[in-house]
Amino acid sequence: MLEAESLSKTFGPRTAVEHVSFDVRAGEIFALVGPNGAGKTTTLRMLAGLIRPSSGGVRFRGQPTAGIETTLRAGIGFLTEAPGLWDRLTVRQNLKVHARLHGLPRPDRAVDAAMDLFGVTDRAAEYAAVLSKGLRQRVALARALLHDPGAVLLDEPTSGLDPESARDVRELILRLRHERRAVLISTHNLDEVDRLADRVALLNTRLVALDTPQSLRARAFPARVRVRFAGPADGHARTLGEAGLTDVRADGDTLSIGLDGAGLQTPDIVRRLVAAGAAIEAVEPEEPSLEQVYLRLLRGGAS
Amino acid sequence: MSWSRVMALLGKELADLRGRPGIFFPGLFTGAIAILLPVFVALLVPAFTGERLADSADLKIALELYRQQPGARALGPEAAIQASLFQQFLVLLVLSPVAAAMSIAAYSVIGEKQARTLEPLLATPLTTFELLLAKTLGAFLPALALSLVCFVVDLTVAAVFAEPGVARSLLTPRPLGVLFLMGPMASLTALSLAVCVSSRVNDARSAQQLAVLVVLPITGLLIAQIGAGFVVTIPVILLITGVLAVVNVGLMRLGVSLFDRETILTRWK
Repeated sequence: MLEAESLSKTFGPRTAVEHVSFDVRAGEIFALVGPNGAGKTTTLRMLAGLIRPSSGGVRFRGQPTAGIETTLRAGIGFLTEAPGLWDRLTVRQNLKVHARLHGLPRPDRAVDAAMDLFGVTDRAAEYAAVLSKGLRQRVALARALLHDPGAVLLDEPTSGLDPESARDVRELILRLRHERRAVLISTHNLDEVDRLADRVALLNTRLVALDTPQSLRARAFPARVRVRFAGPADGHARTLGEAGLTDVRADGDTLSIGLDGAGLQTPDIVRRLVAAGAAIEAVEPEEPSLEQVYLRLLRGGAS
Repeated sequence: MSWSRVMALLGKELADLRGRPGIFFPGLFTGAIAILLPVFVALLVPAFTGERLADSADLKIALELYRQQPGARALGPEAAIQASLFQQFLVLLVLSPVAAAMSIAAYSVIGEKQARTLEPLLATPLTTFELLLAKTLGAFLPALALSLVCFVVDLTVAAVFAEPGVARSLLTPRPLGVLFLMGPMASLTALSLAVCVSSRVNDARSAQQLAVLVVLPITGLLIAQIGAGFVVTIPVILLITGVLAVVNVGLMRLGVSLFDRETILTRWK
């Protein structure tokens, strides 16, 4: 749906984005993560047709968009980092201006539908200045989707929101995926990425990694399994050591076992432990947090 | 160019202005001064001193110059001098919409950026020309309305307090040309300049300071009229209007070329 093709952007001597390529597919939530100054917002602005790439290009629905940024902007919904509502206009007026700027044939109907979808109909006559941060973000989301865009770019969609408002916004983002839109979110919230994203691109001026969250975990950290016993785990660590597993850490009644060692998988390990008389209470894969993965990959520690 | 997009943003501009009545203060203040000055000079001073303007030797030249205008001979000496003064201060009334336009336009792009509403706006299919045109009209139309209101007040004051025939003399082609041809064109120049500058600097005061340059030639015209016996005739009005129209087209083009979305989005804080 929306493709970045070797996008680069320089501002004077500073390179903000360098040869970044990826595509966002219909019905997919694609997350762009990276440290401050990594080029996330610049990338979003290039994809939204707001600034021109220094080199490379953007394709939308398979078509290059160079020189027709106006058409690109008509097909994309962009939620900017700040909601950017006109404070002296009501919610309805804010949305209606944008509906008309997008040339919608029935702006009032589109505004009603968007307000209904985002649950702000009862606030239609209120001035934007008096809305809470969460409500402003809802209205901004409604504005970004007024013209029924195929691709939606969301810059820090839950930044600064209280947990309840953030959950509401996440639910709205999931709804976009169900509607088969291509959704690109730029965020620092890795927990949110873990909950929402189908694929993740780690950006640090250049593209550091791009994959599903699960695959990124596997790349950054060897697979591990955690086994909890009815009693102390120390003795069982020796059993596994004899089986050739070298990366085994005991902590009270739990063993954390690296699976990269002797070619053994979780069922083999469980079998050996049971055969050795272990009373196993629980077995679960040990997943590093996405934050750990992010830090490992950023520091170049991918395996 | 899409007129519907221009009208959409223009509607927003006008709705937004309703919430900021203070922005009209400079224009209203200038208009009030322009209305009160001829009242003071032509009506109050003679009333307090008990000396008729027609008897003043200093105003003989002004009277003779004014009497050269078509239709002016029908007025008596006192009415003719009052009409002359009211008409001369009409040039000052031109400053009223200019001041209003500058206040509004200098804030236009900078205000959107400061309120962080510019980026969502630029993310729509709106072109730079459409954006600047809507911003320009959004300042020009209220300024024009203000100009009309000030003129009606000026006319009413002349009709009620001045000699008979003075108010009617303000409805002749020359004063009407000053107010509704030269005035709007000067306003357009001021606000085109303000919008241009507003696209390049990141605070409204800088834009206002530069756009205020437009006031200088208008003030010069007023001084030339009063001090040097220069009469703004209809050909002069048409010439100034024509020159300003050309300047305005150039400024609009300059504005579009100066408007750098990238710089505005990435470097303005």
